[in-house]
Amino acid sequence: MKNKSIILFSVTIAMLAWNSCKKDEKTVAPPDPENEVITTVKLVATNAADTTDIVTAQWKDLTPNDGNPDLTQAAMTLKKNATYNVAVTFLDETKSPVEDITEEVEERSNFHLVCYTPAASLNVAVQRTDLDNNTPKLPLGLKTRFTTGGASTGALQVALHHQPSGKNGTDCSIGSTDVDVNFTVTLQ
Amino acid sequence: MVRFFSATVFFLLFCLHAVIVHAQDCVYRISGTVTDNQRHPVMGAVVRIETDSTKGDVTDTGGKFTILNACQGHLMLTCKADGFSTAVAHIHIDGNNNVQFVLSADKNQLHEVVVNGVRMQDLHTVSHTELKGLALLQSRGKSLGEALKMLPGLNTIQTGPTIAKPVIHGLHSNRVLLLNNGVRQEGQQWGSEHAPEIDPFVANRINVVKGAASVRYGADAIGGVVLLDPDPLPNNKGISGDAYLIGQSNGRMGTASMSLQGKLSDKLAGVAWRLQGTVKRAGNFSTPDYYLKNTGISEQDFSASVGYRRNGWEIAGYYSMFNTKNGIFEGAHAGNITDLYAAFSRTRPITQSVFSYNIGRSYQRVYHDLAKATAIYRFANEGKLELNIARQKDLREEFDISLPFTKDPELLKKPQVSFQLKTHSAELVYTQPSVNGFSGNVGVAGNTQGNVFRGIRYLIPNFRTYSGGAFAIERYTYKRLTIEAGARYDYRWQQVYQRNQSTLATYHTTLEFSNITATGGAIYRLSDQLTLTGNVGTAWRAPSVNELYIHGVHFSDASYQDGDSTLGAERSLNSSITLSYQSTKLRATVDVYNNTIGNYIYETPQAQPITLLSGTFPAFKFTQDNVTIRGVDASVQYDFLSHFTLQSRATIVRGYNHSAQDWLIYMPADRYENGLVFNLHEFGFMEEPYLSVENVSVLRQDRVPPGIDYAPPPAGYSIFNASTGFTTHIRNHKMQLDFTVSNMTNTAYREYLDRFRYYADNIGINFIIKTKISF
Repeated sequence: MKNKSIILFSVTIAMLAWNSCKKDEKTVAPPDPENEVITTVKLVATNAADTTDIVTAQWKDLTPNDGNPDLTQAAMTLKKNATYNVAVTFLDETKSPVEDITEEVEERSNFHLVCYTPAASLNVAVQRTDLDNNTPKLPLGLKTRFTTGGASTGALQVALHHQPSGKNGTDCSIGSTDVDVNFTVTLQ
Repeated sequence: MVRFFSATVFFLLFCLHAVIVHAQDCVYRISGTVTDNQRHPVMGAVVRIETDSTKGDVTDTGGKFTILNACQGHLMLTCKADGFSTAVAHIHIDGNNNVQFVLSADKNQLHEVVVNGVRMQDLHTVSHTELKGLALLQSRGKSLGEALKMLPGLNTIQTGPTIAKPVIHGLHSNRVLLLNNGVRQEGQQWGSEHAPEIDPFVANRINVVKGAASVRYGADAIGGVVLLDPDPLPNNKGISGDAYLIGQSNGRMGTASMSLQGKLSDKLAGVAWRLQGTVKRAGNFSTPDYYLKNTGISEQDFSASVGYRRNGWEIAGYYSMFNTKNGIFEGAHAGNITDLYAAFSRTRPITQSVFSYNIGRSYQRVYHDLAKATAIYRFANEGKLELNIARQKDLREEFDISLPFTKDPELLKKPQVSFQLKTHSAELVYTQPSVNGFSGNVGVAGNTQGNVFRGIRYLIPNFRTYSGGAFAIERYTYKRLTIEAGARYDYRWQQVYQRNQSTLATYHTTLEFSNITATGGAIYRLSDQLTLTGNVGTAWRAPSVNELYIHGVHFSDASYQDGDSTLGAERSLNSSITLSYQSTKLRATVDVYNNTIGNYIYETPQAQPITLLSGTFPAFKFTQDNVTIRGVDASVQYDFLSHFTLQSRATIVRGYNHSAQDWLIYMPADRYENGLVFNLHEFGFMEEPYLSVENVSVLRQDRVPPGIDYAPPPAGYSIFNASTGFTTHIRNHKMQLDFTVSNMTNTAYREYLDRFRYYADNIGINFIIKTKISF
């Protein structure tokens, strides 16, 4: 009886020791190739009076975790006292080809809201022109109309909010923020 | 390795020394009461130590007896009285014990013995406290963190109603060690929202060592140690067990836990076993004014043990499994600092909720299992050699409400982050017999662990750690004085595996730490009632992997955290004095302590916030400074009238950062608990009925460093709890019933150490009914 117990005990120990030799931790999991990270927010403004007048700007950070964005193209100049139809796109430029994340936002449009907040110094009024699939349908904000006033300059905040519950199409403080960037807009 | 070897040689020499010396340490007192099964005291019963026939006592009119100068070790106690069957108790003496004999008039009935020993921990002079008796019953159904809050000197750090961690003398997480049945619990303790992965129902004895305990338990025991131990396996044949059924109104939570145990006979004589399991389910908890959306719990735990005892040998196996899914309150989800401030400014969460058992994203799924094998050999001279080998696996997965952007549906089902930690450990301890007043332990311990991080985003790296240590603790008791000293050497090797963010190549970094810790203390019995204990001890902790290498947004905090790979180990010097008075009418304990921690690691805010695509985040960097934490714990129980007891507890902690010349953030606010208990020996069919009312008052925490926290500390609060209950016997089965109402006035309040205080109130009124049936 005693011998059997000792044998059983030794076998348990041996199994424990053997198991401990597997070194899973040496394999560092690579970033999931299917996971998309927003690296770029792009605005494309088309002058409603002249569809060949297209202005673009982008806010880009290809290393999204380090706090060093590339702001060289984050400014746009629009004509004063004009109307623009603006589309916002969210891209993952770390992928090749570049992934368009706007599609996923559209797919889950019922839980997203894009908000545009011009600085007080900037004479721009922004109106959302698209709707989600809620009942009743609520504004989404991927497509907007910018109505510009007199010559001025200032920051325009563009924010994508994830609103898994409580979306009402106007309140931007609900939920959590996926994107929150500032463009410099000049009207002249 | 050489050091390790020399420690082993030292250890063997120590054993040899212990075997040569002889005699016994006979300084302990056994006291208690003898009653019949109607709880009437039995006068004139003879209580005697069978193994030492010179020692015994006859009970007085109150059924009380006292035996002085009992020797350390196992002994058999008998209780004989005319007209009753003889009761026998096998007890292990390593401190003053209290034994209750319940005699049966009918010789065919089984007798019952309740042993409430003052169980001494391996470090006798470090202050400790135990959750026992009614407090243990009333703690049932609570998480470990919540249960321990009932002890003086302990607080909890919470993340809403479902996640609570114990705070000992202002310290928590990886500065508090948990021992599950003697094995260091190795989980993901570094995060404040990572609750201990233990079911408190596995333990019938819950002890807390408050102070530096690294000498016995190794690194990390800076704040203290929580020890969870099951009862010893049964010595009697036949099957017995306990069943708990607990229901509470808030969260409509139900908990059921049962244990069954027995001992085999015939060919398998000497084999004893126990099976235990717990199931817990809760839905959305509610504050006085609203439900907290997505705060349910679903937990299933299981444990099994088997032991074999013959001659001096004892071999045992133990397995425990903890499995939980915890909802994270939806209103606490913030993407960046703007969301956080928007949440603060609301008086109530934006999303209205109703009651539901449904647990949606965000939730945590935590799995922990432990397998342990023990071999003990008791020498003829009462010395003991114990070998423990354990393997544990901790898997923690966090599912965020914000789904990743992807076209792959499989990825949407995966957790955002997952951590898996596997630990293998071994410990060999020799307990020397008590000879000429000397007693002590020597031991060696080692472990290896591997951590694997997987996640959609980077948080912490993988690592492999090997660590080993050797310790010796020696005690000497002479009359009223006990002195104790101990020392330990620890070595730790860690290799960290990371991937370069741009080239994606894997690289590794190796870190080594070694440390010597020591402890010294004394206990002086000023009188039979008054005891003075003092201790000075050191403890250490190597920086954890998040403090070294975390890099990125910590979403639950909406903060950007940066580790510092150059951090060194923390070292603490803790001095404590405990004065304890125990008489039949008055029981009081006061602990005073001063804990100086060098290289204390904490997050310090950076001047510049960080701008990411998802907004602006306050940036924090891990840094280390010299700090002091000091405080007082006091508890008093005074039987001022027969049947009436006044009880008070106070927990006061002060933390100061010497380098920054400011208060330490997140120290518990002053806490006072005062209550009145009315109890009878019997009332009708009820045995030991009681009725108690308690007030818990917590002051506002004003001692905070300015400008760091997102919101000022909440106001102080005062809440009332009441409970009533009794014990009864139904067909010889003991049944205990307790009914508690907590937060009776349904007061809305927020607690400084609750991270969800930014978003919502604490839970409101709660009716809790608990039953325990022993069979």
